[in-house]
Amino acid sequence: MTYLLKKSEVNQTLRAWTSKAHVYAPQKVQKYAQFLPVGEDFELSVEEPHNTRFPPKALFLPQSETLLKYNPQKRELESAKTPDQPRIIFGIRPCDAKAVTLLDSVFSSEDNPDPFWQARRDQSVLVGLGCDQPCATCFCTSVESGPFDRSGLDAILTDLGDTYAVEPLTERGVSLFENLTVASAETTQTIQAIQEKATREMPIAFGREGLKAHLDELFENEIWEDFAKSCLGCGICTFLCPTCFCFDIVDEVRKSTRERNWDTCMFKVYSIEASGHNPRPSRRERTRQRLMHKYSYWLDHTGQTGCTGCGRCVRYCPVGLDIRAMVRKSVATPSEVPHVD
Amino acid sequence: MWTNPVNPNPYLPTPMRVLHAYYESTDRSLKTLELAFVNQQDRVRFFEKFNPGQFCQLSVFGKGESPLGVASAAWEGDFVRFTVQKMGLVTKALHQLQPGDSLGLRGPLGNGFPLADWKGKNLVIIGGGCAFSTLYALTKHVQHAQNRADFGELIVIYGARSSGLCMYKHDIQSWYQRDDMQVHQAIDVPEEDWSHHVGYVPDVVKQIAPSPVNSVAIVCGPPIMTKFTLPALVGLGFPPETIFTSLEKRMKCGLGKCGRCNIGSKYICKDGPVFSLAELNALPADI
Repeated sequence: MTYLLKKSEVNQTLRAWTSKAHVYAPQKVQKYAQFLPVGEDFELSVEEPHNTRFPPKALFLPQSETLLKYNPQKRELESAKTPDQPRIIFGIRPCDAKAVTLLDSVFSSEDNPDPFWQARRDQSVLVGLGCDQPCATCFCTSVESGPFDRSGLDAILTDLGDTYAVEPLTERGVSLFENLTVASAETTQTIQAIQEKATREMPIAFGREGLKAHLDELFENEIWEDFAKSCLGCGICTFLCPTCFCFDIVDEVRKSTRERNWDTCMFKVYSIEASGHNPRPSRRERTRQRLMHKYSYWLDHTGQTGCTGCGRCVRYCPVGLDIRAMVRKSVATPSEVPHVD
Repeated sequence: MWTNPVNPNPYLPTPMRVLHAYYESTDRSLKTLELAFVNQQDRVRFFEKFNPGQFCQLSVFGKGESPLGVASAAWEGDFVRFTVQKMGLVTKALHQLQPGDSLGLRGPLGNGFPLADWKGKNLVIIGGGCAFSTLYALTKHVQHAQNRADFGELIVIYGARSSGLCMYKHDIQSWYQRDDMQVHQAIDVPEEDWSHHVGYVPDVVKQIAPSPVNSVAIVCGPPIMTKFTLPALVGLGFPPETIFTSLEKRMKCGLGKCGRCNIGSKYICKDGPVFSLAELNALPADI
């Protein structure tokens, strides 16, 4: 069943939800939208075609998070509490929701599930907003996703001008949108047409067939040298990436806590060992790790590409290193390993 | 509104107490710690899972965690042994611990040695430097009367830069009296009163030339030693499936989540640290 939600009633709906859950929605801080709690006074920022600058992964894996508290005097340890507040995340784009499902394979794995991730996932309802105006940096359909990908979502919205069409996808989604007008058969067809058009018109950035095997063969190729030449090693691509999940664990002496902080494979200290040996001593190895992780190693782990085509790394790289161009260049580079037929 | 299943926090260490702490090398760069469990249920849980070749994350609160290989076998007692090389913040703090001091432990982590696959095989154990610690755990495990019949011949080759850096001296000295194993110790340069081999481990291996027939070789040492020992074993006729090594990487979580210890799609903390040479040959050269 598809419902209709007037845009003029969205703010009111979000405010009503705050009585039963923490509600997060894209709001602007200075120029850039990010997911912030909805309060009494807020201004929604969902009309821009592009995504929030900060990925909503921080709602599930905060940039900094306490794992435990220790008491040096009493020799006691206390686990940090897992969050127990229900949450509704409104306006998440399908690429970012898909990224959360990819990260489930890391943090909700059967062996050693991460209790902090899991608690946040279990407590969250995701209301997605499909994309009918792809931007120049989007490439979701090139990486097994799409502008109306339903992965991870409890409901998906389609922009109909002054109204959103609401398609609840799970029971949780259904429970959020009661008492709305049901869309007519004609409107349902219009919605389908919008979704199909958006998917069709999304430009294909590269072909994925045989990509993993080809990249594996390029491991020792000098192509990485070329990419590394322009890379500054700033790590922006990984911090803003919705699927990058690496973290460091450090003790905060002043707070007597052990914390985890986002980390990045683009930094030299990330992989340096106690002996001084570093398996990734230069940006050649580090840019290779980023690309190979997303387009090869993720496939070994989950059968899916570890990139959802959100385009943030392309849009915000200070030197304009474009992961799509990197992939295309890799594809165009012949591997030196002879093929056995 | 929605339920919150409670999972144990895998980042929370088990409280431990130092039983014994003593220097292992004359230059005081290596210190052995024997740790006891504060809570008995933690001890039971640990030994249910423990297998030689596994490692633990040791915590000094306020300093951090450091991954260290276990240097004891389960039958030795209700303690876990580690030999710590003083390298950085955490290992320096570990060196300062005295008997009775408290610290944290997470583990056992990693796969450990595939002992079940090695049943009935001759074992050629080759170690160098402080990386010998997990091989010491393996040797101790195999030596126990209940386990010894599971394996064929046992050959241990252990090299250190100098005699002062040789670990577990008294115990290893007693191995020469055993009739169920061969011991070969080596140091890099000649010293007075040294009656064993002099030379680098790969050369000593070539000289001893252990037979590859029905054998597995286990190699742990510094990268340079491993680099030259693996081809030496291949040269002696050991197929890559029968050569094993334990890898090191910078690690944080030890659970395959924090991301940094990968080689290709394998995480050293979770899929390793023990790999066969055949498995390593299939991975990219990101070591």
